[in-house]
Amino acid sequence: MLIDVVMPQLGESVVEGVVVKWLVEAGELVAKDQPLLEISTDKVDAEIPSPSAGRVTEILVKPGETVPIQAVLAKIETDPAASLPAPEAAPKWDEETEGFPGHMARTSGPPIPAPPRVEPSAPAPPPPPTTGRIRITPVVARMAAEHGLDLSKIPGTGIDGRVTRKDVEEYLASGGAPPAGPPKAAPALSPAAAPVPSKAAPSRAPIGSPPPAAEGDQVVPWTPIRKKIAEHMVRSKQTSPHVHIFAEVDMHRVAGVRAKSKKEGVNLTYLPFVIHAAAKALRETPIMNSTVSGESTVLKKDIHIAVAVDTDKGLLVPVLRNADRMSLKEISAAMDDFGARAKSGKISPDELSGGTFSITNPGIKGNLFGTPIINQPQVGILRLGQIVKRPVVIDVDGEDSIVIRPMMYLCCAYDHRVIDGVAGNGFLYRVREILEAGDFS
Amino acid sequence: MLVTYIEAIRQAMDEELARDRNVLLMGEDVGVLGGAFKASAGLQEKHGADRVVDMPISESLIVGAGVGLAVQGMRPILEMQFIDFISCGFDQIVNSAATLRYRHGGQTACPIVIRGPSGGGVHGGLYHSQNPEAWFCHVPGLKVVAPATAYDAKGLLKSAIRDDDPVIYFEHKFLYRRIKEEIPAEEYLVPIGKAALRKEGRDLTVITYGAPVHAVMKAARDMATEVDIEVIDLRTLLPIDWATVKGSVRKTGKVLIVHEARLTGGIGGEVAARIAQDCFEELDGPVMRLAARDVHTPFAPAMEAYVLPNQEKITEAIRKLAAY
Repeated sequence: MLIDVVMPQLGESVVEGVVVKWLVEAGELVAKDQPLLEISTDKVDAEIPSPSAGRVTEILVKPGETVPIQAVLAKIETDPAASLPAPEAAPKWDEETEGFPGHMARTSGPPIPAPPRVEPSAPAPPPPPTTGRIRITPVVARMAAEHGLDLSKIPGTGIDGRVTRKDVEEYLASGGAPPAGPPKAAPALSPAAAPVPSKAAPSRAPIGSPPPAAEGDQVVPWTPIRKKIAEHMVRSKQTSPHVHIFAEVDMHRVAGVRAKSKKEGVNLTYLPFVIHAAAKALRETPIMNSTVSGESTVLKKDIHIAVAVDTDKGLLVPVLRNADRMSLKEISAAMDDFGARAKSGKISPDELSGGTFSITNPGIKGNLFGTPIINQPQVGILRLGQIVKRPVVIDVDGEDSIVIRPMMYLCCAYDHRVIDGVAGNGFLYRVREILEAGDFS
Repeated sequence: MLVTYIEAIRQAMDEELARDRNVLLMGEDVGVLGGAFKASAGLQEKHGADRVVDMPISESLIVGAGVGLAVQGMRPILEMQFIDFISCGFDQIVNSAATLRYRHGGQTACPIVIRGPSGGGVHGGLYHSQNPEAWFCHVPGLKVVAPATAYDAKGLLKSAIRDDDPVIYFEHKFLYRRIKEEIPAEEYLVPIGKAALRKEGRDLTVITYGAPVHAVMKAARDMATEVDIEVIDLRTLLPIDWATVKGSVRKTGKVLIVHEARLTGGIGGEVAARIAQDCFEELDGPVMRLAARDVHTPFAPAMEAYVLPNQEKITEAIRKLAAY
């Protein structure tokens, strides 16, 4: 009897294999289990043994060809005289015997096409109205209540004559308009909602599909520090009515001091000058150096200025303690130290708390000006703007003259619950005066 | 480029190993052999034996070592040779990995990925056909994903590796070499927590994931003249993209949930319950489920077909729901 030599499944995920070479020729006599050919798959290489003794009558696949599992590779005529029964052919794969997802299990089939990713189209219009009895679904009950419909008048096409949502929609579309007047009492099975005038728009907002999830978008969960910042920002805006005021500051004397220090080998940025000036002005305007506790204002004895530092790990705000008692050079050295340690993550939590006033310096790319958010529970914050050379009009010996000066917009935000305009404006004006006077001793 | 599902997985690991020195691959036979299914073929040669590491046959050890490495800042990918054996590492997953962030008040994380071949339809018998995703969807602190396409297999695995929480990644072995799909040559990510709308439709919604996505899509095409089906591929099972699910249910009013895992205690129960609670007044029929029968997956092909959902059962369920 003629039997098939089939391509076996060599591993659960393997769907095909390549015939490497034949070890026998057509017409040759073979013993049971004698290797007939070598095959190679993604997972393993193997020899295929003969399922039976007999004569190879036909070789159906050439070396190098790729064949699916269960494909017939060769045919063998078994010796009828031999007592060996012909082995049963491997089960045939068809729609009835194959496994799970139907046609997909046919291992030799073409590759499964990738399902598309489609975006939701515009939301479906809100469904129309109706009312009924017998057996209805929740959505039909709702539609009936909304539109004051008598469901017994709508032919049902669902199982057992059930009125489906589609039936209701078609009824309405075909002009089966709801009665002109207010509907009768709500139908027995509808929710016990008050009757809705038929002309009223459905009480629900149109049902929208969710926003499309664009492929390739990256979702970046908030880090703990980002969460803290977010919570803090929202809380501050909700807590304090912010007033933002601006001063235009002539920084040429500050620039002069910087240039002089540079000659002495000390590099100073603009920031320590502003810290110095602010500390001095805070000492003169105690209300600006306060915190809010419940319904009290706490005027702080010490002046601890929190200064924002940008690091790889996000924004950190170390606190410069007793800033009003520090010299310009001490402030500068402390800031350099903070900057270096913030970047290496070596600032202790103690150094990040206890501020009584804040200063933020967005640096050379800080733009013209900005309106900072108060660092709760403080009541004020200063923000440096970009320092830009501008032509300005000044008084030179009683004459108006145009000169070029490094100018900076300085913004101050204050908490209007606690600070009135006079105090807030007075403070910022004083900071400007100190910076323009150029005396930082 | 045209790739198989398993090649997409291999590429994702290759790219992430190259991108980040902290990424490791550990598992039984993942190194010299390149994985039992060849998912990591060539990776040890390319990235070194200290980064693609052959492990003893002990899933508990593999996960436990991975958790320790993750706490120290590494991002190990832990392969289960068959996902069936993930149960040997169960304690390390649910009591150790999933609770780390909670136990430390959010101050530490456990960026591990546990991945491995799941699913039946390949006559693998009961120890090589399981779909144990529901066990893990009950555990806060874990994320669970199950891609159905090569595109998603790659994009979700890369997202999983970069995620700071433990992600269980179920790859379906039936799809390994049966899918060949064009995917972008340039790098992309698929976000965790977003379902994919595979097809829009008006009449009813089929919610599914993993290998059955393909059978459901075939049904949607074959039955296009009788019923207009909307198909949602969940992709992420924890957390589920409820916005997409509910948006679709509100539109169609009828829902069939299809999964290859067993019915009782499966993901479908949770999805159905949420829909019943949150979309009750939009429902125009019972929420229906089609899943494996509540028995172990048999080896014999005819019995396996009887137990698992297949094309015919899907078509029948859709027809029944559409007529309701």
